[in-house]
Amino acid sequence: MTGRVIVITSGKGGVGKTTTSANIGTALAKAGHKVVLIDTDLGLRNLDLLLGLENRIVYTIVDVIEERCKLKQALVKDKKNPNLSLLAAAQTRDKTAVNAEQLKEICDTLREENDFVLVDCPAGIEQGFQNAVAGANEAIVVTTPEMSAIRDADRIIGLLATKEEISSTKLLLNRVRPSLIKSNEMMSVDDVIGILEIPLIGIIPEDTGIITSTNKGEPIVNDENALAGKAYRNVAQRILGEEVPFLDLDEPKGFMAKIKNAFAKLKVKV
Amino acid sequence: MLLEKGFVKNGFIIDLSNAKNTTQLVFELSSIMEHPDVKGKNVCLKLGGSDLKQSQLLSIKALIESMDSSIAFIDTTSEQTEASAVSLGIMVSKVSDQDIQDGIVGTLPDEVSEESVMVKSEEISLDSSGQSEASLSSSHIETTEGIEDIYNEISAEELSEIIPSEDSEKTYFTKFAANEGLLNDEHSKYILLDTGNVLPEGVEENSTNTESLPTLYLNQTLRSGQTVSYDGNILIIGDAHPGSEIIAGGDITVWGILGGIAHAGNAGNITSKVRALKLNAIQLRIAGLYARRNDTLNVPYVQKSNEFTPEVAQIEDGKIVIYKKLRRD
Ligand SMILES: Nc1ncnc2c1ncn2[C@@H]1O[C@H](COP(=O)(O)OP(=O)(O)O)[C@@H](O)[C@H]1O
Ligand SMILES: [Mg+2]
Repeated sequence: MTGRVIVITSGKGGVGKTTTSANIGTALAKAGHKVVLIDTDLGLRNLDLLLGLENRIVYTIVDVIEERCKLKQALVKDKKNPNLSLLAAAQTRDKTAVNAEQLKEICDTLREENDFVLVDCPAGIEQGFQNAVAGANEAIVVTTPEMSAIRDADRIIGLLATKEEISSTKLLLNRVRPSLIKSNEMMSVDDVIGILEIPLIGIIPEDTGIITSTNKGEPIVNDENALAGKAYRNVAQRILGEEVPFLDLDEPKGFMAKIKNAFAKLKVKV
Repeated sequence: MLLEKGFVKNGFIIDLSNAKNTTQLVFELSSIMEHPDVKGKNVCLKLGGSDLKQSQLLSIKALIESMDSSIAFIDTTSEQTEASAVSLGIMVSKVSDQDIQDGIVGTLPDEVSEESVMVKSEEISLDSSGQSEASLSSSHIETTEGIEDIYNEISAEELSEIIPSEDSEKTYFTKFAANEGLLNDEHSKYILLDTGNVLPEGVEENSTNTESLPTLYLNQTLRSGQTVSYDGNILIIGDAHPGSEIIAGGDITVWGILGGIAHAGNAGNITSKVRALKLNAIQLRIAGLYARRNDTLNVPYVQKSNEFTPEVAQIEDGKIVIYKKLRRD
């Protein structure tokens, strides 16, 4: 088997890379695929918290690299889904503890036995970023509809274009608020695509449920009712090559309006 | 014989009737009592059929009082528990399921008829506000008042006077075994990881007396990402935040809230202990045994309080067990 190695990156911090990694990983695993999530944010790890796995971590990626354990031993199985496991970052080390070749080797090994290896990238364009992309052959660039985030995403897309191994780079637009777009206070999806000019893989609405889900250590894709959860499930399906119709992100309206909307051509597409 | 509904002012019902055994009962109670909302309340304990000896009930009472609360009354179906309660001057009554739904919080009825309580009348005192005190018998435990008092040395004789202990002083406060079968996974505070013994190759288990080791004294807060490691014992005056790591050849003592990883006896010393005013470590490691905090207790940041009951983790019979203690061992 040769699994796909996808790096989730952004340039700017705090735009939702880790949230996206946890949710897409969970959704793919729920769909029956074997998935490993790698947290490469050494010293500022979070992915374990979002998955509620912090108390199960015995070995980290640094232990693997420094040969204190085997790669298999360091994979922490998800509580609910045996298809999903996590390779945690070391909390007490800095980014110099790992180099790009080492990460590539780990990705290469993991893709032999997994359908997906998702790499959660740290913010920035230095060593941490170089490490995270080293083993990847696809990339998802996360941004929010803000000028500063888009500027950084643009920079990252440029850098990714120089990496021959990366065959596909897609855009995930996070924290979208249709009401703000309507009132012209937020850039529209079309505006963002217009600037970045790469294919869109998903649009995730701003959802306060994400905060509660983070605190509980339970990705929001597990919540059948949350709109952001649905949006992330759709992203996973698109990664799997399915054509998924676009979600209506408009604020909930009357039943009839929803039906009408479903047929209407939407400006906001997921 | 029944107390009227709405009797307990500022009351709180804690239903422990499903506890499978005393250990689990006390464990659940102590987790509930840590919640800030339960402070300063009159607690009604639903104990179901649990048979509690006088000493056990007294420990429970001390636990509740250490959180500034008091027992209003208990609801029990066990004759033994009832007898223990009567001898301790704790009222016994019944709560119906309806009361639980309604919550029993309310105001005191103007008059409480004498026969409405089971204990002898002189032990019930009504103060001017009409609030009833479930007046409790002589053996009040002074050491639960505040942190300074906790470590007051109490001699074994004194202790056995205050607490009529059944077998050993260790049974005074509860022993929470990580995975003894006593407690199932859902209810243990710490659960051993199935990694087996994680000692690196070439490191042998040993029982060096940790008192003979030097001690590193640190007066600071350990923050996420910080590691302290030392061959001897480590004493930290301050909190160890989640994301921090303490690795000691001997004992680890945190005079504060321990929230990160603590590894005592990392060179194989199985007599090493981890002590903290509040033991909330995400993982406890002693020698080659690793235990994770129960998922149900995943509240990474604990509120500060002056009323923590210090806890000690140590290895016994190949398991990590945790004692809640009010005194130095
Ligand atoms: N769609 C969203 N709606 C609401 N909050 C979000 C959303 N996506 C991310 N967040 C919040 O934004 C913060 C940063 O997210 P995170 O995934 O940690 O970003 P990164 O990994 O890029 O630094 C977190 O507090 C997270 O809960
Ligand atoms: Mg992150």
